[in-house]
Amino acid sequence: MKKNQILMAMAIVASSFYACTDNTNSMIDTSNNGTYKVYTLNDVTVVQNLIADTIIGTSAQGQPFGTGHFTFFSLKNRAIVPLADSATNNWDVAFRGTTILTNAGTSGPGMGGAYTHVGIFADVISFNADSTIRSDAAPVYAIKTGSNKGWYVYDGPNNLITPIPGRVLMIRGAEGTLYKLEINNYYKGGLTPLTTATSAIKLSTQRYYNFRYKAL
Amino acid sequence: MKGLKYHFFIIFLFASSIASYAQIAADSSYHSHLKQYNIKEETVVTATRSERKLSNVAIPTKIITQKSIKQAGSMRLSDILQEQSGLFLTAGFGTGVQMQGLNPDYTLIMINGEPLVGRTSGVLDLNRLAVGNIKKIEIVKGPSSSLYGSEAMAGVINIITDQTTNNKLAASLRYGTYNTKDVNCNTTFSKGKFTFSHFLNSYQSDGFSIRPYAVERTVAPIWRLTNQLHTSYQLSAKTKIDLDLRYAYEHIQNEIAVTNNGIITYSKGNEYHRDVNLNPVITHLFSNKLKSTLRLYATNYNADQNLNTSGNSIYDDQLNHQFVRAENQTDYYLNDQISFNAGVGYVQEGVKSNRYELNSARRTNNIAYVFAQTEIKPVEKLTIIAGFRYDNNQLFAAAFSPKIAAMFKANDHLKFNASIGRGFKAPDFRQLYLNFTNTAAGGYSVFGALEAQKQIEFLQSIGQILSIESDYYKLKELHPEYATGINFGLQYNPNQQIQFDLSFFRNDVENLIDTRLVAYHKSGAQIFSYLNLKNAYTQGVESQMSVKITPQFAVSAGYQYLLTADKDQVKDIKAGKIYTIDASGFARLMRLGEYIGLPNRSKHMANFKLTYENENFFTNLRIIYRSKWAVSDKDGNGLYNSNDGFANAFAQINIAAGKQINKQFRMQIGCDNVSNYIDIANLPNLAGRTFYTTLSYQFYQKNKK
Repeated sequence: MKKNQILMAMAIVASSFYACTDNTNSMIDTSNNGTYKVYTLNDVTVVQNLIADTIIGTSAQGQPFGTGHFTFFSLKNRAIVPLADSATNNWDVAFRGTTILTNAGTSGPGMGGAYTHVGIFADVISFNADSTIRSDAAPVYAIKTGSNKGWYVYDGPNNLITPIPGRVLMIRGAEGTLYKLEINNYYKGGLTPLTTATSAIKLSTQRYYNFRYKAL
Repeated sequence: MKGLKYHFFIIFLFASSIASYAQIAADSSYHSHLKQYNIKEETVVTATRSERKLSNVAIPTKIITQKSIKQAGSMRLSDILQEQSGLFLTAGFGTGVQMQGLNPDYTLIMINGEPLVGRTSGVLDLNRLAVGNIKKIEIVKGPSSSLYGSEAMAGVINIITDQTTNNKLAASLRYGTYNTKDVNCNTTFSKGKFTFSHFLNSYQSDGFSIRPYAVERTVAPIWRLTNQLHTSYQLSAKTKIDLDLRYAYEHIQNEIAVTNNGIITYSKGNEYHRDVNLNPVITHLFSNKLKSTLRLYATNYNADQNLNTSGNSIYDDQLNHQFVRAENQTDYYLNDQISFNAGVGYVQEGVKSNRYELNSARRTNNIAYVFAQTEIKPVEKLTIIAGFRYDNNQLFAAAFSPKIAAMFKANDHLKFNASIGRGFKAPDFRQLYLNFTNTAAGGYSVFGALEAQKQIEFLQSIGQILSIESDYYKLKELHPEYATGINFGLQYNPNQQIQFDLSFFRNDVENLIDTRLVAYHKSGAQIFSYLNLKNAYTQGVESQMSVKITPQFAVSAGYQYLLTADKDQVKDIKAGKIYTIDASGFARLMRLGEYIGLPNRSKHMANFKLTYENENFFTNLRIIYRSKWAVSDKDGNGLYNSNDGFANAFAQINIAAGKQINKQFRMQIGCDNVSNYIDIANLPNLAGRTFYTTLSYQFYQKNKK
C-alpha cells in the first residue's frame, strides 16, 4: 500500500522533470529509478545513485548494518574505483552511509582534503583563501559527520536524512585538483521517502548518493 | 517534610477562617450580593475571577452555552472546541488546543476555576473531559497569568459545571458509528440548605487511537468513565460550603503490528488513565461589600501504559502527577466605581515517572503566590482593570505577571477594549527531570535540564559518550517561558439581531524552551536536553459575526487570520544564511516571502454555522475550515517555508437535528464529517463520516420550592 504510494509519487515527480543543459543547474534525472549513472553537461558532472554501503540486515539489537565498506570514487575519471585501490591515489572521495572521506590523512596517501562552504554552488568560483582545508583524522573527518554539522540534517522522529541546502563541499582531490561538490539527495532515485513511509522503505532506499561536482 | 506540609494546610485552613466565591449559585442569600454587583444577565467569572455581566467585562470572554454543546452533539470537550473560532485542535499525545497560534502547552484548562493536570509532552488531552454536565465554557484569550499563574500564557478555558438546584433525574443514551456508546445520567437533589448533584458518563468506542512513537495507527477500543459529584450546604445566611469530587477513568486497548525486514511483530498494549479531583470551597460574606473564599484543591492524574510484544519483555510507562493547592481570595466592593480582589495561595506539585531517574521518588515543586486586581470606573463609559500576580517557585526563577485592560463603551451599540498582559509557563517536570532512553527507536536519550549534566558526566566517566555538542555548554537553570500579549478589539451590535466582534492580537514570546542535541552516545545515538532558546511571535485578527435572520433562522461565522514566526529564523533569513531547493533539486537562497513561520498552524481558519430552531425542533449545519499547515521540513534547511511538506487545507461539515417529543422525551440525530474527509497522517484523530442518534429522557423534574 505505502510502497505503491511511494512508487506513484516517484512516477509523478519523475514525469514532471525534464532535461536541462544549463551549466550550473544540471537536473537530477529522477526518472532513473535507482540505477547508478554518471553524465557530464557543460563541465558539471552529475552522479546518480552512487551506492554507499546500503543496509543489508538488522542486528539482534535492531541496528541496521551494511558491509562496512566505503565506495571509492574518482572525481577526475568520473568513475567508481575498485575497493582494492583504496590505498592508492586513484580515488578522490569515498562514501559509506553519511560519512564522506577525502584522500589524505588517516583515509589515504593522497594530497586530499576538504571544507564545507555555505553558499550556492554556481557562485563558488575558487577556494576561499581564508578557509582551511582539513584532512581526515579519524574519527574526525574533513567533511564533518553528524546531523547539522556537515552536509546533512537527520530528522530523528521521522528517521530521514536530508542534505542541508546551501552546503557546498570544497574538495581537494588526491592529486591536488580542486573541486566543488553539492549533494542533492541521499535516497534511491534521488527521492526522499515520505515521512509516513514505513521504516522498511526508509532503510532500504537510503545510502544512494546523488550529487553534482565541477573542477575549479 | 510531609508533616510540615499538612501542618501548613491546617494552619492555612483555620487562620484564614474566611472563604470563597462559589459558582453562580442561585441561593437566596446571594441575591442581595448579586444585586449589589448589579448582575441580572449572563455572567462570566473567568476574566476577572469574580462575577461580571458579560457585557461589562473589560476582558472579552467567549461563552459556549450548554445549548450549543447539546445541539452540536458533542461528547468530549475536544468535539465542541474544534468548532470555535481561532481554536486549532492538534493531534499527537492526545487532542490539544492551540490558541492565538500558541501550542497546547500554553493554555490553562480548568474545571470550575481549578486547573487540570496530567499533560503528556505539554498536551492536556481534551478527550479526557465529558461535556454532559457542563453549564457553559468560558474562554479568555490572551495572557491571563496575572490571575491564574503558569500555563495561562495563550489563554484560559474554564469549564463551569451545571449546579442547578432543581430536583431532577435525567438520562441520555447515544449510539453511533464505530460502535460508540455514550451514556449520561444527571441527578440533582436539594432539600433546605443542602444541594446534591451527580453526573455519570460512560463513553465506549471502537474508535481511532494512536500510540506515541508508532508510525502505524490502529483502531483501538476505548472506554471512558466520568463521575462527578457536587454538594453544597448553606451553613448560615452568609456562609456556604461547596464540595466537588470528580473521578475519571480511561482505558485504551492497543493492538499493533509492526513490520520490520518482512517480519511482523505483534504487540498488545493497554493505557490506563485515572484522574481524581477534590475541591472543597468555603464562601463567606462578611458584608454586602466584602466576600472571602477559601478554596482547597487536590488532584491526582495517573497514567499507565504497557506494551507486551511477543518475545520481548513488557514495556511499561508510568506517570503520576499530583497537585495540591490552598488559596484564599477576598473580593471587596468599595462603591460603583472601585472594587478590588486579592488572593494568596500555596501549591505543592509532584510528579513520579519511570522516565525519571528514580521511579519511586516524587519530584516536587512548591509555589507560593499572591495576586491582586482592581477594577475602576473613572467615568460611566470607561472601565479599567489592573492587576498582577507574583509566583515564587522553589525549582526555578520567580515570575511576575502584570496585566492592564480597559473597555470604552462609546454608545449602547459599540464598545472598544484593549489589554496588555504578561503570561508565563513554568518549565514542567519533564523538562527538568526526564531521563528517558528510547531503546525501541535507535537508543536516543532525552534528559531534563536538571539531569543532563549529571547524566552525561556519568556516561562520559564510563566511556559511553562519543562527543559533546556546543549546546551542552549552554545548559543552565531553566527559566519560565514568557509572553507579552496585546489585544485590541471592538464589539458592535447595531440591533438585537446582529452581533459583530473584531479583535487583533499579538503575542511576543521569549525564552521558549526547545530541545537541543547536546551530546552523542558512544553508539552514535543522539542525546537531547532542554534549553531556553527561542523567541517567537504570533499575531492575527479574529472576527465573529452572528445574525438572527428570522426568529427561527440564525447564521454565525468566525474567521481567524494568523501569522507566526521564530524571530531568530527571520534574522537568519534576512542575513542571507538560509537556503532552499530550486526546481532542479539543488540549493538557492531563500527569500523572506517564502517563510511560513511556526509549523502546524493554519494561516486561515474559519467556521460557519446555520441554525433553524423553533419551540420543539432544531437543525443545524456547521462547517469548519482550515487552510494548509506545515508539517515537515522537506528541504532540510531547519525552518518551514513554502518548499516544505504541508497538510492539505480541508473543510469538515457536521449536521444535526433534534426534536422535543414531549416534556420528558427528546431525540437527536446527527452526522459528523459528512464529506468523509480523512487525512491519516496529519489528522489521525479525525474519524471518517460518523452517524449518531441520541435519546434523552427526563424522569423527574421538580422546581425547588
